Amino acid sequence: MKESPNLIFHVLFLLLLISPSVFSWKKDEFRNCNQTPFCKRARSRKPGACNLIATEVSISDDGDLTAKLIPKTPENNESQDTPVEVDSKPLLLTISVYRDGILRLKIDEDQSLNPPKKRFEVPDVILDEFLSKKLYLQRLSEEKIDNDSGFSSVVYLDGDYEGVLRHDPFEVFVRERGNGKRVLSINSNGLFDFEQLREKKEGDDWEERFRSHTDTRPYGPQSISFDVSFFGADIVSGIPEHATSLALKPTSGPGVEDGFSEPYRLFNLDVFEYLHESPFGLYGSIPFMFSHGKARGSSGFFWLNAAEMQIDVFGTGWDAGQDKIMMPVDEKRIDTLWMSEAGVVDAFFFVGPGPKDVVRQYTSVTGRPAMPQLFATAYHQCRWNYRDEEDVFGVDSKFDEHDIPYDVLWLDIEHTDGKRYFTWDKVLFPNPEEMQNKLAAKGRHMVTIVDPHIKRDDNYYIHKEASDNGYYVKDASNRDFDGWCWPGSSSYVDVVNPDIRSWWADKFSYGNYIGSTPSLYIWNDMNEPSVFNGPEVTMPRDALHFGGTEHRELHNAYGYYFHMATSNGLVKRGNGKDRPFVLSRAFFPGTQRYGAVWTGDNTAEWDHLRVSVPMLLTLGLTGISFSGADVGGFFGNPEPDLLVRWYQLGAYYPFFRAHAHQDTKRREPWLFGERNTQLIREAIHTRYMFLPYFYTLFREANITGTPVIRPLWMEFPADEETFSNDEAFMVGNGLLVQGVYTERAKHVSVYLPGDQSWYDLRNGATYKGGKRHKFEALEDSVPAFQRAGTIIPRKDRFRRSSTQMDKDPYTLVIALNSSKEAEGELYIDDGKSFNFENGAYIHRHLKFSNGKLTSSNAAPSGAGGNKFSTDCTVERIILLGLSPAPKSALIEPANQKVGIEMGPLTIRPGKSPSFATIRKPNVRIADNWTIKIS
Amino acid sequence: MNKKKKIGGLRRLFEISIVIIIGCICAITRSAAAAAAKDDQFLLLLGVSPQDEDYYKGLLSSPSSTIKCKDGSFKFSTSQLNDDFCDCPDASDEPGTSACPNGKFYCKNAGHIPFSLYSSRVNDGICDCCDGSDEYDGKVKCPNTCWEAGKVARERLKTKIATYQQGVTVRNRLVEQAKLAIAKEEAELSKLKNEEKILKGLVEQLQERKEQIEKAEEKERLQKEKEDKERKEAEEANLKEKQNGEQVESSEADALKNDIHDKIGEQVESSEADALKNDIHDKIGLLGDSSSSQDVMDGHGDSESEAQHGEFDVKEESPIGDVKPLQEDSLLHATEKEEQLTVDGQPGLDTGNQAEVEEDNSESLSKEELGRLVASRWTGEKTEQQTEEVSSTKDKNHGTEEEDAYGEEYSSYDSEEDDHRYDNDDGDNEDQMDDFGGEDHDDSSPSYKSETDDEPDLPAEPSWLEKIQKSVRRIFQAVTFFQTPVDKSEAARVRKEYDESSAKLSKLQSRISSLKQKLKHDFGPEKEFYSFYGQCFENKQNKYVYKICPFKQASQVEGHSTTRLGSWEKFEDSYKVMQFLNGDKCWNGPDRSLKVKLRCGLNNEVTDVDEPSRCEYMALVSTPALCVEEKLKELQDKLDMMNKEQPTSHDEL
Repeated sequence: MKESPNLIFHVLFLLLLISPSVFSWKKDEFRNCNQTPFCKRARSRKPGACNLIATEVSISDDGDLTAKLIPKTPENNESQDTPVEVDSKPLLLTISVYRDGILRLKIDEDQSLNPPKKRFEVPDVILDEFLSKKLYLQRLSEEKIDNDSGFSSVVYLDGDYEGVLRHDPFEVFVRERGNGKRVLSINSNGLFDFEQLREKKEGDDWEERFRSHTDTRPYGPQSISFDVSFFGADIVSGIPEHATSLALKPTSGPGVEDGFSEPYRLFNLDVFEYLHESPFGLYGSIPFMFSHGKARGSSGFFWLNAAEMQIDVFGTGWDAGQDKIMMPVDEKRIDTLWMSEAGVVDAFFFVGPGPKDVVRQYTSVTGRPAMPQLFATAYHQCRWNYRDEEDVFGVDSKFDEHDIPYDVLWLDIEHTDGKRYFTWDKVLFPNPEEMQNKLAAKGRHMVTIVDPHIKRDDNYYIHKEASDNGYYVKDASNRDFDGWCWPGSSSYVDVVNPDIRSWWADKFSYGNYIGSTPSLYIWNDMNEPSVFNGPEVTMPRDALHFGGTEHRELHNAYGYYFHMATSNGLVKRGNGKDRPFVLSRAFFPGTQRYGAVWTGDNTAEWDHLRVSVPMLLTLGLTGISFSGADVGGFFGNPEPDLLVRWYQLGAYYPFFRAHAHQDTKRREPWLFGERNTQLIREAIHTRYMFLPYFYTLFREANITGTPVIRPLWMEFPADEETFSNDEAFMVGNGLLVQGVYTERAKHVSVYLPGDQSWYDLRNGATYKGGKRHKFEALEDSVPAFQRAGTIIPRKDRFRRSSTQMDKDPYTLVIALNSSKEAEGELYIDDGKSFNFENGAYIHRHLKFSNGKLTSSNAAPSGAGGNKFSTDCTVERIILLGLSPAPKSALIEPANQKVGIEMGPLTIRPGKSPSFATIRKPNVRIADNWTIKIS
Repeated sequence: MNKKKKIGGLRRLFEISIVIIIGCICAITRSAAAAAAKDDQFLLLLGVSPQDEDYYKGLLSSPSSTIKCKDGSFKFSTSQLNDDFCDCPDASDEPGTSACPNGKFYCKNAGHIPFSLYSSRVNDGICDCCDGSDEYDGKVKCPNTCWEAGKVARERLKTKIATYQQGVTVRNRLVEQAKLAIAKEEAELSKLKNEEKILKGLVEQLQERKEQIEKAEEKERLQKEKEDKERKEAEEANLKEKQNGEQVESSEADALKNDIHDKIGEQVESSEADALKNDIHDKIGLLGDSSSSQDVMDGHGDSESEAQHGEFDVKEESPIGDVKPLQEDSLLHATEKEEQLTVDGQPGLDTGNQAEVEEDNSESLSKEELGRLVASRWTGEKTEQQTEEVSSTKDKNHGTEEEDAYGEEYSSYDSEEDDHRYDNDDGDNEDQMDDFGGEDHDDSSPSYKSETDDEPDLPAEPSWLEKIQKSVRRIFQAVTFFQTPVDKSEAARVRKEYDESSAKLSKLQSRISSLKQKLKHDFGPEKEFYSFYGQCFENKQNKYVYKICPFKQASQVEGHSTTRLGSWEKFEDSYKVMQFLNGDKCWNGPDRSLKVKLRCGLNNEVTDVDEPSRCEYMALVSTPALCVEEKLKELQDKLDMMNKEQPTSHDEL
């Protein structure tokens, strides 16, 4: 395989030693917009280039608005500077309206005109439940807008909104009813373009070459592009995954920073050592943009399309000197350009108006985040690789030795027999079941990795079955696609096909996955898909999937289907009784229904710690609440300071996992001296302490879509100070966390929003809201604050893992606001089954006012037949902001008196300030009760 | 491990009571136990360790009494003791519950080893104490397994004690021997230094004498020439004036004198050069003993390295003799060349290569090559393969590079030895190993004796110096009054004596510096690691052979390639760990290093090698050097305690 080395090799060796940057991101290996014909074409179009007009506007039998988009004929075309394409056929436009003010716009070729091929529409993303919320349009109203020669058709939306189809020039927008203020619009700048499929003619050269790869492109150009405008927006956000700020920087027009002249790319890629600040596309893609502004609030735009997408955000003033477009000039807005290589227009307009409304609306289309198992919300310990059973037991027992809780130990690719997933290395892991059972006896779980590339080995049963049944993705010549990945020569399961997904899901049954036990869960990596010898380290675009769909049409959704198949496999495995846990690297709209994601192969650098926050916040805004970044950084060796800071911040990530590359030094929490061990232990303890709160937030996300961690402006939508702040974030509505992102930081500046005060989690000290404060950067934690007016449930006893905490009593921390009131919630269920879906849960509403703490049932009455009960009690209630401290309290209805003493905010050795603490009220958490302070 | 504790009768009684109580609780009412027994004084002290009992005494007198938390932060009353609510941040009020996160729960584990658990283990549904005392809330039933577990533990402890007992004896002997040997060596060193001084003097004298002889010889020669000439002249001018001739003679003599002087100068120079050469040679010899350059010595099979075997092989004298001290120089020589090549940052270089290729030429690669290439970014694996290929090719084709590798470090190394090395390279390794092995077994002379072997050219008798002195004296006596003509045999004797003596001197000096080098090492507080010097411990793990040579280096051998895991650094952790640092560099990683954890055992033996973190190795070596008497006592006390506890607890439960 390798020829004898020549002299050049040696010389190059030496050269390489000198240049340290060789291993960083390889820009040349990935296409930029100029090397991507559809992107280049779309980007070079001028505003107003679109010459389409809407005709034959009517209401269909399905209750939709339909129209045909046709080019202006010479008769109605005043300016002849846009040549009309000869073979351009009318496009079909459909507008549907759904509850909660959602407008859906579809534009596709007219199937009755026999286009060469049906364009791909992504299945299995939109919920049936959403479709059932369609509002059937009865009638249209027409009106004239501005000085238009033609009419516009207006449809009513839920809430006080209207959808408008402007006929000429063609434009679709949503506006507030009454004042007519626009919310968001499409084609206001006339950049809409739709390359229709056509028969290949002589002389057509459709092939595209990039580096050593050739894309045959048998169907030729088929891209779609258009502009979207967000009115009243101060920032736009969303469209993960990029390592960049939460508020998206402009990529075109004025104000473009260095490194941001490329559009935001949405193309799932396995990027080696990605940069911490770049519009370059990473492992997952969600074509959903979120806008927010002080003036109007939030709105969102979602384009369901799985082909490569590129999105430009225009800097303000990009369109200066243009008079073609009729736009309201008095309103602030952000314009964007959306370009996709294939597919159809299937776009959703979300009107908000609050940030949480937009997330709710978006997740009503693509699904709410799944309710994770409780253990999955605790701390995960991972490394590439825990080598053998001895290593596993060693690490496991070290956690115990150091009294550090953890819930899950992970096994990376080396645990398998030659990277054949579902198998075990017989030497390293001779007794996998026994190993898992040993950990399970301590309430701990394990996760093994299962990737979509299958080793092409006839003795490997998965490969045998897949190749015999034709379950692999095919190459352009319709043979099983053969690419290179961890196992060497590999093929990829065509999970786009529901039957193949079902087959794949069966592989997770205990009978099929030998050596698996009920405490084993799954990790899907490399599902972009990563193909080491493919173009841009992924699958060729002309590879063929189920139904003859080209890979280019669904690339961004491949990982999603794989995640789905795996997740469904775990549900099947547990007979539908056990919630699955599957971590995926690639993602797409809808991923939130199937499990968690993480931000891939980051690096042990402060900048990567820093960027993890906007990356996770963005994921949360776009529906994926259960996300995390590798604590410590995957590549490289973190200095102890960085590692400790990462743990302190990571403890608040929704998904909290430490992971490391195989070449890095061991970095389990106890390897950096006693002091650092203590600091990391404390950080992990913090997470375990807040588990009841996190779990409650996961349930909130599960019901409403509101993410577990949120940008500050989601809680304080009118506070402009927060719009560009992505160094701090909210955990739920009650905690504000600020990372420390520099080495040996002395001070941290923290902006505390709102008009209420904040209580320092470390010592209960109070700070005014609406102000930036400078804090000393203490080494024992990152700055974190409880918002006045909230009640946060905690469990202050630490165990080996979350499993042993289920009977432990609660601590309630009541942070009173200026009117001596506070509110909070607590959600509890069995932590693992689906019974909660049938009402088997406890949902308490906790309210403090008028000197009384009341716990009442927040669950809707008659929410299913199942019941969940717990004997857990409240052992401690801490009152912040109450002075002077009262002496005692009376519990009703038991009519029992309990003492109030002064106690610390958290129990830790040494002196700390004391607060009024109701000692041992011992009320059952599940009951209704009132505690009166006297 | 718990420190040794004295157990008072009172405490024992108390413990027994607790055991009874817990036993009852378990047997009768499992769930309501805590509440029911609340008044019980003994239960109040649940989870309290014996040394803490005094602290809680004040609380036992009356229910209303209070004491301060240990850290002085708060006060708590009897009713707050173990009431499942954390009042003291330092957990002093909750020794028996999980209420305080920082607490410790003491399980007595009668019949087994008592220990303190983190309070997070109390009532967590998992049985941690073998007596089950940590789980009393009725969620789980924990049977008392102390008896069975204790039995096993006691057996293990007994075995351990037996090992220690023997080990302590061996260690004492080791220490004795080491002290003797070191004293011997120190004595030898000072003796050698003395001898060196004398010998140096002699050599100087001899040299002087030699020079004089040479001068005289020269003079004689000139004289002879002159005489010949004179004779001729005399024959020609038979009857010329005599006085005139005498004048000429004297002026010629002056000229000649100068001439001689020059020549002597030359001679001195050349003898200095010789000395230098010897010196270099010596140094190389010494390097062989030093940790950094063992490889130079490798495989020469010369007397010095052989001698080392004898020196340290104490097989028949002490149990550590079971060790097969591997002279690494004999083993490594063949593989080390490859090592030298692979070692030199090759993996790093290789990846470099890879990436460059990628940069420049990935478009021309086959699909498979491209796949491997991209994969290697994450793993570096392929690059390693390449390294091997590259280096082995190099080995075959570029023999000269090898020389370079050595040449740089040891440029003074003469080619003769290089050839020698190559010879060995061609030769059969195993045979050589066997040879050495054979010698090991045969040669059981104690270390100090072997020194004579170490310097075979030096006469073994202590009188060798006297002999030389005598013979020199004799020479001097014989030639002291020598005049022209020089006695030929005398001159030869002086020369010979000079050559021999200076050769001896340089050997002596080499021996001195090797001794100095050796004695400079830290052999431990009692010199218990003295016997490690010059030894290597070997262990085979799958395809790798690990070789640990204390005070020198450690390596990992796989087939024909050797990877240096590190050079000797120092002892750490009060002589419980040996540290080897700065081994070969890892791809994308740190320099390799090895930590060797030492523990008591009867033989010097590598029991385990592991790579817990990439390129950071960890080995376990058992050695009698770690069998310390105090530890033995500790173990015995522990066993005594366990034995005392047994019968009661067993009967009770």
